[in-house]
Amino acid sequence: MSTPALALDDVTLGYDGRAVLKGVTLAVEQGEFCALLGPNGAGKTTLLRGMLGLLPVLAGRIEYGFDRRTSPPGYVPQRESLDPIFPLTVLEVVLMGTFARLRPLQPAGRRQHRLAAECLAQVGLDAIAKQPFWALSGGQKERILIARALAAEPRLLLLDEPTAGVDPGATVAIMDVITRLNRERGLTVVLVSHQLRIVRQVVRSVIWVDDGGAVKGTAEELLSPEHIADVFGAVAARG
Amino acid sequence: MSTLVQILSPDFLLRDALVGSVLVGVVCPLVGAYFVLRRMIFLGVALPQLSAAGIAFSFVGYRLAVGAHEHGNVSERELAMLGSFAFTLGGLLVLTAFERRGRETVEARIGVTYAIAAALTILFLAVDPHGDAEMVNLLKGDILATTRTSLTLLAYVLGAVVLVLFAFRKEFLLVSFDRDLAVVFGKRAALWDGLLYLLIGITISLGVMTAGPLVTFGFLVVPPLTARLVTRRMLSFSLVAAAIGGAAAFGGFYCAYRMDLPLGPAEVALASLMLIAVGAASMIRQGVARLRAP
Repeated sequence: MSTPALALDDVTLGYDGRAVLKGVTLAVEQGEFCALLGPNGAGKTTLLRGMLGLLPVLAGRIEYGFDRRTSPPGYVPQRESLDPIFPLTVLEVVLMGTFARLRPLQPAGRRQHRLAAECLAQVGLDAIAKQPFWALSGGQKERILIARALAAEPRLLLLDEPTAGVDPGATVAIMDVITRLNRERGLTVVLVSHQLRIVRQVVRSVIWVDDGGAVKGTAEELLSPEHIADVFGAVAARG
Repeated sequence: MSTLVQILSPDFLLRDALVGSVLVGVVCPLVGAYFVLRRMIFLGVALPQLSAAGIAFSFVGYRLAVGAHEHGNVSERELAMLGSFAFTLGGLLVLTAFERRGRETVEARIGVTYAIAAALTILFLAVDPHGDAEMVNLLKGDILATTRTSLTLLAYVLGAVVLVLFAFRKEFLLVSFDRDLAVVFGKRAALWDGLLYLLIGITISLGVMTAGPLVTFGFLVVPPLTARLVTRRMLSFSLVAAAIGGAAAFGGFYCAYRMDLPLGPAEVALASLMLIAVGAASMIRQGVARLRAP
């Protein structure tokens, strides 16, 4: 059995020394497509930030199935966290992903530009490389941020609600890109989402965050109408 | 035309002041670009004032620790530089450390810093009986008094600031635009923030020493705001901001010399006029585009 892409062993995560999630033990296997779900305020983003190394681990251990220094994870943040005051073209945003493997004083050269163009092509937006990033629609911006994450040449891709606030057509396009990356490139994907109906169609496993902890199981098990009704009520279970 | 020829001639009496002016006009916007992008504009008001307080404090501190200073027994510019740099960098570090603990009261903190710095500047000057005209000139940043030695120092230091800014621009962009991504990539975000703040501190200290708090703040903020209206890319944004700053400094110098106006305010007024003109043109262009849209 191969080393998991990501393994959490009795992990406690929180802010300012206060635990939000305690005793989290789970593993995400190589090539797995996993959704990180749970009610609002349960700690989904806390767990994702812990997985990314953005939050210090208060107790326990997080291990990666790859060398984080040479191959950092790909990260797609919520697009609202980025400030539109920055004058950036689409290509400049995607090129930022290549900075992961560049040393200080090493400029983004031809290889990095070629890689950025390839990543843009993978998300189907290579034709708009020179356009201002902020002029794009929400769905296009998300795909550009996915391209930026790919430009880091990651083995693990973590996405924070990539389909939040985008129209249904764009949601389908985004999920299609992520599913293809998982199936065709074997990229391990962890995706935070609120949209159970969409997630149910594409993921095989689910990390369920609730009550100060997190459990991992199959999508059939954790997204069963009984479990959803138990957490959200009968209306959500029918969605 | 003859004024322009006179200003550009190699033996122009105020040539050093002109060169110093343009240097500050070009370099301040390069640093100020990060002030605008990181939404730290109010810091651009408070820090030059802190720098001025540092200049005034250095003389009071010297008098308290060593004794009364006379012209010649201690270099006033070196003292002033030390005080200016210490106060600017110290204030910057304290304010940014507090900023990370919560953004909700950041404007209040900067406002209080400005008020304290302005009051201290006046109090320090009042306390030191040797607070003579030369010290007041240092505080105002009397650019016309620029000497060849101070210009050389200014050119070397600001040149180094520009080199570092461009050499590490991908790191500065990454930590400014998406700090989380920088951390995920294993970059030392705090180190890059620290280096950027150091460059900001150096530029403001030298800017205030050379041109005064008003001009320094004006050039930190106004040219980048103008450039933001007309550029789409990061590199062109920085370069256009620097070009606008340089042009406003030169144009302001020309107007001040020709019309016998105070130099600093003339430069800032011209930079502001450029912002208003570009802003108006931009609004008209957007209005026309909206009318033409189907």
